[in-house]
Amino acid sequence: MKPVEIIHLYKTYNKRTGRLWGGAEIKTVLQDINLQLGEREILGLVGESGCGKTTLAKVLLGLEKYQNGSVKINGLEIKELTKVGFKKLRRQVQVVFQDPYSSLDPRQTVRQILCEPWDIHGLHTDTTERERALRELLQAVGLDAAHLNRYPHEFSGGQRQRIAIARALALEPKLLVADEPVSALDVSVQAQILNLLKDISRRRALSMLFISHDFAVARFLCDRIAVMYNGRILEIAPAEELLHNPQHPYTEALLSAVPVPDPLLQKKREPVELKNEYQRAAASCPYAVRCLYYQAAKCKSTCELRQTVQNHFCACAVLPFKNKKSSYAI
Amino acid sequence: MNAREDTLLSVEDLRVSFSTEQGRTEVLRGVSYRLQKGKVLAVVGESGCGKTVQALSLLNLLPAGGEIKSGRILFKGKDILSLSPQQLRKVRGAEIGMIFQDPMTSLNPIRCVGKQIVETILAHKNCSKLQAKARAVRLLRKVGIEKPRKRLREYPFQFSGGQRQRIMIAMALCLHPDLLIADEPTTALDVTIQAQILKLIKTLQKQSGMATVFITHNLAIVADIADDVLVLYAGYCVEQAPAEELFAQPLHPYTKGLLHSLVSLKHKAEHLPAIEGYPPAPGMPQEGCPFAPRCPHVQDRCRVQLPPLFERNGRQVRCWLQENA
Repeated sequence: MKPVEIIHLYKTYNKRTGRLWGGAEIKTVLQDINLQLGEREILGLVGESGCGKTTLAKVLLGLEKYQNGSVKINGLEIKELTKVGFKKLRRQVQVVFQDPYSSLDPRQTVRQILCEPWDIHGLHTDTTERERALRELLQAVGLDAAHLNRYPHEFSGGQRQRIAIARALALEPKLLVADEPVSALDVSVQAQILNLLKDISRRRALSMLFISHDFAVARFLCDRIAVMYNGRILEIAPAEELLHNPQHPYTEALLSAVPVPDPLLQKKREPVELKNEYQRAAASCPYAVRCLYYQAAKCKSTCELRQTVQNHFCACAVLPFKNKKSSYAI
Repeated sequence: MNAREDTLLSVEDLRVSFSTEQGRTEVLRGVSYRLQKGKVLAVVGESGCGKTVQALSLLNLLPAGGEIKSGRILFKGKDILSLSPQQLRKVRGAEIGMIFQDPMTSLNPIRCVGKQIVETILAHKNCSKLQAKARAVRLLRKVGIEKPRKRLREYPFQFSGGQRQRIMIAMALCLHPDLLIADEPTTALDVTIQAQILKLIKTLQKQSGMATVFITHNLAIVADIADDVLVLYAGYCVEQAPAEELFAQPLHPYTKGLLHSLVSLKHKAEHLPAIEGYPPAPGMPQEGCPFAPRCPHVQDRCRVQLPPLFERNGRQVRCWLQENA
C-alpha cells in the first residue's frame, strides 16, 4: 500500500466571467495527474507560480475537493472519508506551510501550539508524559525547553519554521506535505531548515511531498522530482536523472533560467528564449504556446507521460529533439 | 575621463537610525561606496540588515521615524540630502528610478495601470499623451506582458503578483534613468521571468549606460548581474569586492558561510554547511563584531571590539582575521 496514490485526478474551479448575470467559466487547474509516493520517499514538485502545485497539496490534505479521479492515502480514498475518517487521516498527514509568519497563531504560546494537536486527538494526556513528549519534540527540531512559554513574535523566521515543523511532527504522521517551507527564509537559515527536514524525514521514516520552485533545493532533498506546468505533470524522474538529462523542453527552459552562484559560469549561460504563439493554444500540450520544438502534427494530438529512460517519464510528443542543447543540463 | 569623473553615485559614511519604543536604534552604521556609470552594485544581506533602508536613503524616502544621522550621498555631484523637495522631485523618477520590493502596495489600486505609467512619463517628459501611451505599450511588451494595449486599461488587482512587479519595473525604466535602484525586484517572480527581467536590466545598462544598485539576498542573481558586491550584516558593511573575486575567494567568515550554505545545482550535497544561529534583529545593541555570535573563527577580541574595514587589494573586509593577513 503506497502512502500516496493519485490516479487520473482532475480538479476544476468555476470562475465567474465578471459580468453581472454572466455565467461561470470552468477552469481546469489539475488535469490528469498520476502520481505515486513510496514509503520514505521524498517527491519534489517543481513549477512556476499558478501551475497547481499548492492545489495538489491541498487536495492531498483534504482541503480542496476534486471532481474526477482517485486520491488514496495509505489506501484510503479521500473523497469517501467521513468526518471521523478525516480526523484519523490527520494523524497520518501533516503540513508545513510556506510562511511561518502567518501559519502560527500569534496568541498562542509555543506550548499551546504544540499541545493543540494532542488535545484534539486525545494523546499524551498524562502531564508528565506530555512534558516529556514536548521536550522530545523540541529537541528534534533544534529548539529548547526555554522556548515553550514564548509567543511566535519573539522568534525569528527560521525558529518559527522550526516550531511549524514541530507542530507537524506532533502527531507522528507518516506523510508530510511541505509547501515551499524554505522560500520565505533568509539564505543562511534556509540551509539549517533543509538539513533539519532531511534528518527528520530519515529518522522518522517519513514520506514527503516537497513543493518548491527551486531546483537546487529540490535536488538536495528529493529522491524524485516532478515538473508541473498548467495543471499537468510534464516530466517526472529521479532527481539526479532529471537534472542531468532533462527531457521535456519546459524542464530544459526552467533549468536554463536558474542562475548559478558563480559569476564566471553564470556569464556563459544563456536562458532559453520562450515563444509566445497564441494560435497554438488548441494543442493538447499545455506548453505548446511557449515551446521551441513545436510540431503541429504531433503536439496537437497527444500529451501523455511516457517512459523514455528507465523511471524517467516525460510528456512530450516530439521527443527526441534533433537540435536539443544538452548544455542546459547541469 | 578619469575614474572620479565617471562616478555617478557616491555614498559616504551613511548612518541611519529609527526611533522605536526603546529609543533610537541605529539601523545603518556607516556604509560607504562608489558606483560608476554603467556598473551594477549588488547589495547583499539578510532581512533586517539595513539593505532596504540603504536604498530608500538614496532617494531621501525614509519612512516616518527614520532619520539620516550623518553621511553624504552625492549623485552626479549633487548632494541628495540637501536638495529641496522640488529639486528632489525632478531627480526621482527621471534620473533615479526605483523598483520597490512590494508590488502589491506600490501601485494605486483604484487607477488603471496605464494611467499610472502615462502619468509618470508626462510628469517628467514634454510629450503628448499619445506618445506617452505608445511608450508605455512598448515597455510593457518589453517586460513580457502580453496584449499590452488591452492590459493598460486594467486595474492592478487584475494582474498577478509577478505581472504587477513587471509593471513596477516598466514604470521605473520608462524614463531611462541614469541610476536604477532595484530592491529585490525579482524575489516574487518565477525563474523564467526573472531571467527576462535581468536581461532587460542588462540591455538597458549596455545601451544607455544606466547604473544599478541591486538589492538582493539571492547570491545567484548577484553572480549573474553584479560588477561589485557590498555585503551588509546588521547595518555594517562587512565585505566589499568585485563580484568575481568575492565568489572566487570570500574573505569575511559571513560571506564564506553564505556561499558554502547555498544549495548547488551542480553537486549533490548530503548535508549543507549551514551558518549556525540566526541573524540579529534590526537595531540590536552591538558590542564588538556583529557576526561574532555566529562566527566559527571568533576570538575574544571580536566580542568586545568592532573591527575596522581593512583594505585588501582593493577589497574591503571588516574582520580581525584580515589585520595581519
